[in-house]
Amino acid sequence: MKFIQSDVRKITSLSPEEVKKRDERPFEFWGPTPSDARKAAVNKKKGLHDKSTTLKDAVKKHLKDGINLGIGGFVNTRVPVALTHEIIRQGAKDLTLSFQSISMCAELLVGAMIAFPDHISVKRAEIAWWGYEIIGIAPLFRHLTSRGEIEVDDYTNFGMSIRFKAGAMGLPFIPIKDHGGSDMEIVNRGKLVECPFSGDSVYLLPACNPDLAIIHVNACDVHGNSRIFGALCTCPEIAQAACHTIITTEKIIDTDSIRQHPNLTEIPFPVVDAVVEQPFGSYPGACYGNYWFDMPEFLEFRKAGDEFRKTGNKDKLKEYFDKYVFGCETFDDFLATRPYKKLKELRIQDQGQSTILI
Amino acid sequence: MSEYSPIEIIAYTGSRVLQDESIVFVGTGLPIIAAMHAQLTHAPNINMIFEAGSLAAILEQGMPLSVGDTRAFRKAAFAKGLCGAFELTQRGYADFAFIGGAQIDMYGNINSHFEGGDYTQPQTRFPGSGGAGAMAASCEKTIAIMALEKRRFAEKISFVTSIGYGDGSPDYRKKAGVYGSGPYRVITNQALFGFCEKTRRMMLLEVLPGKKPEDIQELVGFELLISPDLKEMAMPSEEDKKILYEKCDPDGYFLKRAVQK
Repeated sequence: MKFIQSDVRKITSLSPEEVKKRDERPFEFWGPTPSDARKAAVNKKKGLHDKSTTLKDAVKKHLKDGINLGIGGFVNTRVPVALTHEIIRQGAKDLTLSFQSISMCAELLVGAMIAFPDHISVKRAEIAWWGYEIIGIAPLFRHLTSRGEIEVDDYTNFGMSIRFKAGAMGLPFIPIKDHGGSDMEIVNRGKLVECPFSGDSVYLLPACNPDLAIIHVNACDVHGNSRIFGALCTCPEIAQAACHTIITTEKIIDTDSIRQHPNLTEIPFPVVDAVVEQPFGSYPGACYGNYWFDMPEFLEFRKAGDEFRKTGNKDKLKEYFDKYVFGCETFDDFLATRPYKKLKELRIQDQGQSTILI
Repeated sequence: MSEYSPIEIIAYTGSRVLQDESIVFVGTGLPIIAAMHAQLTHAPNINMIFEAGSLAAILEQGMPLSVGDTRAFRKAAFAKGLCGAFELTQRGYADFAFIGGAQIDMYGNINSHFEGGDYTQPQTRFPGSGGAGAMAASCEKTIAIMALEKRRFAEKISFVTSIGYGDGSPDYRKKAGVYGSGPYRVITNQALFGFCEKTRRMMLLEVLPGKKPEDIQELVGFELLISPDLKEMAMPSEEDKKILYEKCDPDGYFLKRAVQK
C-alpha cells in the first residue's frame, strides 16, 4: 500500500519539530493489539451464565493498572457514571482512556487524579472530544493539556467510532473519508494512503480494542444480552471491541424476552463479562426512556473543576470526591444523597420515551 | 438595528441558506433553530440528522440540549448510533452541515483544537474535533457559524480541525481524500460570506443593513473578496420572529441568551 500526504503540510501551523517528531514516531496501539483482543475472546467461557454481580466485584475483577478503558455513552447521554465512581473508589494507575465524546466521566477520572494522585492516574486519551457541550468546556482537560500532563491523540467522532467498529470486527484498521487534509493527518496515528482499488486518497485508522469497556444500557438479561433505546452512541462497537466488558443496566429483564425480540439485542452475551443492575446508573447524565439530564449537578462538579483550574486550590474537588465517591460505599448511597423528588422529576422530564422491556 | 438580536439574525440567516428536500447535519443550539425555522417556512421537507444517531426526529419536546439528548431522538424515523449517522453522511446523505470553531481562515479551514503553545502543550485547549472534522469532510456543503472578530477570522489558524479548501489549490480536497464539496457559507451576525468559485477564497455576499464592506473588513484578519453582487442581509419579519420564539426555541435556551464568547 502506498503512503501519501495531502497538502496540509503547506498550511499547517505546527512546528517543523512537531511534524518531524510525529513522522518519526513508530506506530503503537495504545492498548491491546487486535490479536491480543482476539486471544481474549477465544479464552472466554462462552456459555450462557448468570453474570450478575455488584459494581464492587465487577470492577475489582477487571480494573488493572495500565489498561485502556473504553467509555461508552456520548457526552452526557447514557454515560457509565456509576462504573466511573466505582473505578475511582478502587483506583488504578496509568490508565489510557478511549472514547468519542465524553463530559463528566472523563472529568471525574482526571479530577480524582488531581485530587488523589497516588490513588488513580490517567496518562493519555485517544478521543474526539472532551467537554460539557452546552454547559461549557471541560476545565480539568484544559488544565492538564496546558501543562502537558496528559497525552492526547485526536480523531473525529466518526474516526473514534469506526476505530471501535474495526476493533469490533476483528480488523486491524479501517478506511475512512475524513481526517485527510486536516492537521489530524499529521498528529494522529492514522495514515493517508492511495486506495489500491480506486486510486483515490483514503485515510486508514488503527482499530481500538480497549482492555475494558464500561457501558450503561437500558436493559439486559443476566447473561449480558443488552438492549439500548435512543442513541446507541458507540456502545455496541466499544463493547464488542473490548477484551472485557462490564454492563450496568437500568433493569435486568428475562431471557425469555430477549429471545422473543432477538433483533433488539445490541450487545450479545459472549462479549459481556459482568452485569450489574444499577438504576440511575448514568445519573446525572440522561438515559432515554428512563430519565433526563440533571444539569445543575453537572454544573456543581464542573464548578469545582473550574475553581481548581483558576486558583490551583484542590479543596472543592477533594470535598466532592470525599463526599460523593469515597464517602459512599455503593452508587445507591450516592443516589441517596439526592432528594427523591429530584430523581422523580428527571423521570418525568424524559416524557416516557418508548422502550420495549417485555 | 436594535430590534434584531445577533442570535435572531444568525438563526434566520441559517434558515435562509438551507434548501428544501435536503438533510441537514445539525449540532445543538442555533443549527437546530435554523433548520426548524426552515422546516416551518420555506423548506418543509428538510430533515435533520444528529450525530448521536437519529434521523428525522420530531422536536416536539423542546430544544435538545445535547445532540445525544432524548429529545433529539423523539419520534425519529431512524435511530442508531454515531456510526449510523456518519456512515449515512459519508455515503452522501447529508447535504448541509452546520459547524463552528474558534478560528477560520480565508479558505474556510476551521480550528477547534487549541490556541497558543503547541499541540502537545497548548495554552488553551478546546474540546477537539467532535463531529466537525468528519462533517466538514463528508457532508456535501459546510456552513460555519462564527462570531465576527479579527482573532477568529485569522490569516493563519493554529490547527486545521475541519478541512475547508486547504491552501486554495483546486485539488486540495481531492488529494486529502474527502468527498464533500466543501465550505459553502459562513454566517455571522453582521455578514454572510460565501466562497469564490475560482479562487476558493472567502467572499462577502451580504452585509447587515447600514454596514459597509469596509466595516466588515475591519473585523477580518485577512483580505476579503467582495461579491460584485453585494446584498443587504434580509431581516426576520414579525412572523419569522414569532416562529423562532414560539416554535423553534420556546424555552428561550438559545435565543434569549446573550451572545457569548
